[in-house]
Amino acid sequence: MSFIELKNVCKKYDKTDKNAVTDFNLAIEEKEFIAFVGPSGCGKSTTLRMIAGFEEISSGELFIAGKKMNEVAPMDRGISMVFQNYALYPHMTVEKNISYGLKNMKVPANEIKKKVDWAVKILGLEEYRHRKPKNLSGGQRQRVALGRAIVKNQKVFLMDEPLSNLDAKLRVSMRNEISKLHRELGSTTIYVTHDQVEAMTMADRIVIMRDGIVQQTGEPMELYEHPCNKFVAGFIGSPQMNFYNVCVERDGIAFSDGKRVKLPDTMMERLRGRQQVIMGIRGEDIKFDGQNLDVYSDTRQRAVIDNTEIMGNENNLYFEFGGISSVARVSKYEVSKIGDSVEFVMMPHKMHFFDPETEEAIG
Amino acid sequence: MLTRKQKRSNWILVVIMIAASLFFLFPVIWMLANSFKPDAAITKDMNSFAAFVPPALNGSFFDNYVKILTDTSFVRYMLNTLFYAAVLIVLGVIVNGLAGYALAKIKFPFRERWLMIIMLLMIVPMETIITIHFLFIAKLGLLNTVIGYILPMIVNPFNIFLFRQVFVSLPDDVYEAAQLDRCSPIKYFFTMVLPMSKSVVATVSVFTFLNVWNDYLWPSLVFTSGDLLTAQIGLNAITSNDNTTMGQKLAVITLITVPVIIIYSLFSKQIVEGVVSTGSKEG
Repeated sequence: MSFIELKNVCKKYDKTDKNAVTDFNLAIEEKEFIAFVGPSGCGKSTTLRMIAGFEEISSGELFIAGKKMNEVAPMDRGISMVFQNYALYPHMTVEKNISYGLKNMKVPANEIKKKVDWAVKILGLEEYRHRKPKNLSGGQRQRVALGRAIVKNQKVFLMDEPLSNLDAKLRVSMRNEISKLHRELGSTTIYVTHDQVEAMTMADRIVIMRDGIVQQTGEPMELYEHPCNKFVAGFIGSPQMNFYNVCVERDGIAFSDGKRVKLPDTMMERLRGRQQVIMGIRGEDIKFDGQNLDVYSDTRQRAVIDNTEIMGNENNLYFEFGGISSVARVSKYEVSKIGDSVEFVMMPHKMHFFDPETEEAIG
Repeated sequence: MLTRKQKRSNWILVVIMIAASLFFLFPVIWMLANSFKPDAAITKDMNSFAAFVPPALNGSFFDNYVKILTDTSFVRYMLNTLFYAAVLIVLGVIVNGLAGYALAKIKFPFRERWLMIIMLLMIVPMETIITIHFLFIAKLGLLNTVIGYILPMIVNPFNIFLFRQVFVSLPDDVYEAAQLDRCSPIKYFFTMVLPMSKSVVATVSVFTFLNVWNDYLWPSLVFTSGDLLTAQIGLNAITSNDNTTMGQKLAVITLITVPVIIIYSLFSKQIVEGVVSTGSKEG
């Protein structure tokens, strides 16, 4: 049995017709870092709160370390949690916030001191230990919340969008700190976020949810390279994957604006028997350089750049193609200006195809 | 940056407010000034501006106060009232606070209806139910006892409502964090909820103190013994005594007014914060 197991877990709130979470199945191994990701209202936080014990499980079973936890109080589940809004005790100092749980657990005073010293040291809070939360910045508050979670030596860490209130720069550094802490402590972590970058960069495995239903579970690159449906393909990756409604022809596909791309026979085999499909391709798989233009000359197209985003390390180029606004991600050396007419190719083996009805991946 | 016109209207406003304050302060200044005078001086100054000026500081300046504090039981009445107020503040915060917390945060059947009933109770004047309180306390054999006096005054619908309004805006995730920190609900109430709601606790404490300090009707019904009387009953007994001079009467009225003014001055910020925060967020 895995360390944490959710079996057919459902959540239905009173006076609602729809489940907030439907048939959630997941086995999490010890020391694994799992991210629940999805748009707002997809049920990721609800699932986390069911694991924590703050929400009742309507049906299904939850096991932690082999013990059924459905009816067990949150404090007895062996978990620590970091909340989105930090949930610090506003009238207590940093030190007291961190030590409060240990005192209630009747840990000896000298041991509490040792643990608090250790936590403030590794979290860089030494000079703030006597400050109250209102006198701390967002990042420092989040570190206090982390400190409160780690001193209790629980085997499971639950984190509910812990970085969403921080600015972009701080988010990156805290992301790194959380990953390091996870490795150092060897705890099992379940991390909820709506930010796919956080999920991709931190998690061993990602669970993508939509409308309370798990769409796909897998390692970050597995989800990126092999999305099981259009939603996952669109959710993971930035900029978002380009999706085109295309007609399947004898030796290729035709876009809604009449443009055609010739595809290799092996790919056409996957589309056999279909007339319409959705083709998806990521921005970085649209190439503008001479070498790729030669290699994939069968898919060579022309478009006019109508917007550019200079990111520093790379550029995003926007252009109208196939009836939609498309985006390509190119290296910082491939400079194009608005209004430039450029040639590009779409790498056929990087194309994803989805059923227009079910939006499930084809092949 | 204020324009010249705005500056001028600000000044006019300040002058009007000072004039209005003086108008309302006149009786208090008159009382204070005359509480140091013998009756003859009070009568002599009555129709002149001297009525608002205290006498020169001399050996008999505090005579009226010394007489009241030494010849009557007023000190005892004041101490009694302070004791009742202290007990009622502690019990009131606990009982009304717990009720407010339950109405704000604990889900139970008909919670909203209970709140409605409690809000309806706020419009029932104390005088209409005081007979029932009296009969109830008499039946329990608690007349002329401290418990008999305190018991019906602990629960206060207005205070419950104040607490509920503040508690409803407390973040739920702090409670959840405390749960994971093995904090029991009762411990959470005392160690988290009350400290996080200091301003409403201060507001309720001040209101309770003022209620007890100014209450006349209920203690006059419950108490018959001189040992347990409150300051207001003592005030009535002293001022209605023919042997008490006008100066002494004003001295005792000053003594009973001063704590109220001190409390208001010290806690006015918290009172405003407490009342304002009750309207900040509905749950």
